[in-house]
Amino acid sequence: MDFLNYPQPLADLISSLARLPGIGPKTAGRLAFYLLQQPQISQDLAQAILTANHSLKKCSICSNFTDQDPCALCQNPQRDSTELCVVEHPRDVVSLEKTKEFKGRYHVLHGVLSPMEGIGPEQLTINLLLKRLKGVQEVVMALNPTVEGEATALYLARLLKPLGIKVTRIAHGLPVGGDLEYADEVTIARALEGRRQL
Amino acid sequence: MAVYHADALVIRSREYGESDRVLTLFSREMGKIQAVAKGVRKPKSRQRAGAQLFTYGDFLIHKGKSLDTVSQCSPKESFSYLWSDLDRSLAASAMAELLDISTISGQPNAELFTLTLTCLFLLEQYETSLLLSAYALRLMVILGYRPHLGDCVECGERLQGERLFFSSEAGGTLCGRCRESYSGRMVRAGSIAFMRQLIQADLSKLDRLRWAAWMREEVLETLRHYLEHKFERPLKSWRLGNTISDGLERHIRSLNGKEGKEFE
Repeated sequence: MDFLNYPQPLADLISSLARLPGIGPKTAGRLAFYLLQQPQISQDLAQAILTANHSLKKCSICSNFTDQDPCALCQNPQRDSTELCVVEHPRDVVSLEKTKEFKGRYHVLHGVLSPMEGIGPEQLTINLLLKRLKGVQEVVMALNPTVEGEATALYLARLLKPLGIKVTRIAHGLPVGGDLEYADEVTIARALEGRRQL
Repeated sequence: MAVYHADALVIRSREYGESDRVLTLFSREMGKIQAVAKGVRKPKSRQRAGAQLFTYGDFLIHKGKSLDTVSQCSPKESFSYLWSDLDRSLAASAMAELLDISTISGQPNAELFTLTLTCLFLLEQYETSLLLSAYALRLMVILGYRPHLGDCVECGERLQGERLFFSSEAGGTLCGRCRESYSGRMVRAGSIAFMRQLIQADLSKLDRLRWAAWMREEVLETLRHYLEHKFERPLKSWRLGNTISDGLERHIRSLNGKEGKEFE
């Protein structure tokens, strides 16, 4: 690596930044030099990373990241506890909350089943999910429409359906504002499968 | 060759960067290819469907310095049944992983490509473990690792008896005299004969074969040992397929037990 010619602390900073997702050695170098020229930003960033790491933990109920346990969403009495929405990542909770459409509670799996990457049910928070089913009438699978997401939804559906819980899946189809002409065949086929009466 | 076409199957797809995916494609003409499909995790991407695991399609790829880039893809078959059947999806994962670890980039193998594609089409109707076993055995035959089944690998003696000694190290069954220097496992003669049938039978008539639960377990376990020994690495999907079924049963048991009472 060319950054090995830099002074050791700078080389360490670059190689640490290069370990972040989506950042290659070139971008890492640019970021490192920028941080060196902006001491206040570096200070704030370092502090924010440390604070987030120390104060954030996983909620003991839904596994979302939180600074208080249970998290604000799990504590909120206004939320409908008969509906549970299962998502892959904590950031998916934020996306769903932005819609203001879902009034129930969430459960974060922290991944999906991925046999080729060696991720099985034990690596996800399925045990925690099974412990919080009392009073739940519907579980909404808001997992990504990929083969792995579907496999995870099917796995959970197999577990939950025999218990008499309604298991639903968010719709697949055309994005709002999208053009049918430019949509791919698979998406159009899914959209047709999921058509509904007007 | 700045741009090339590939008639290929997506055998691996992992997230990369902000919204990209790195695809491992197995193509008829060029063998295994790694290529980045840019922006395919965004809802507006037109290549989204083609970048999904197990999609078979026509890919237009730009040659890059380190990684190639997918610039267009037209899916021909997306094997949609895999999206609604957990067991079949796990079997397809095991097949794809096996293909991935057993092949080297840039070495075409049309026979292996046809076998994989045929098996993915047949997987929709056939028993999953039967097809997976047949696929694994035939893949080994194509790659030159055909196991000796029924006669001794070392001396060629025709073997008889209820149970035969199978050694992954030796590459098949061994007689009493030759087995001493090898590690292995005892396998019922019926399972060995069934494995022979899995190699020889017409793939399209495979569903006529019947096997008992013990035979299925023994064949799958013997094969897993053999494959892992030959490729010198654990088969994650193959192992996880069993773990997932076990985990499902365990979770169901736990729900019917302690937690299940909460619903009564």
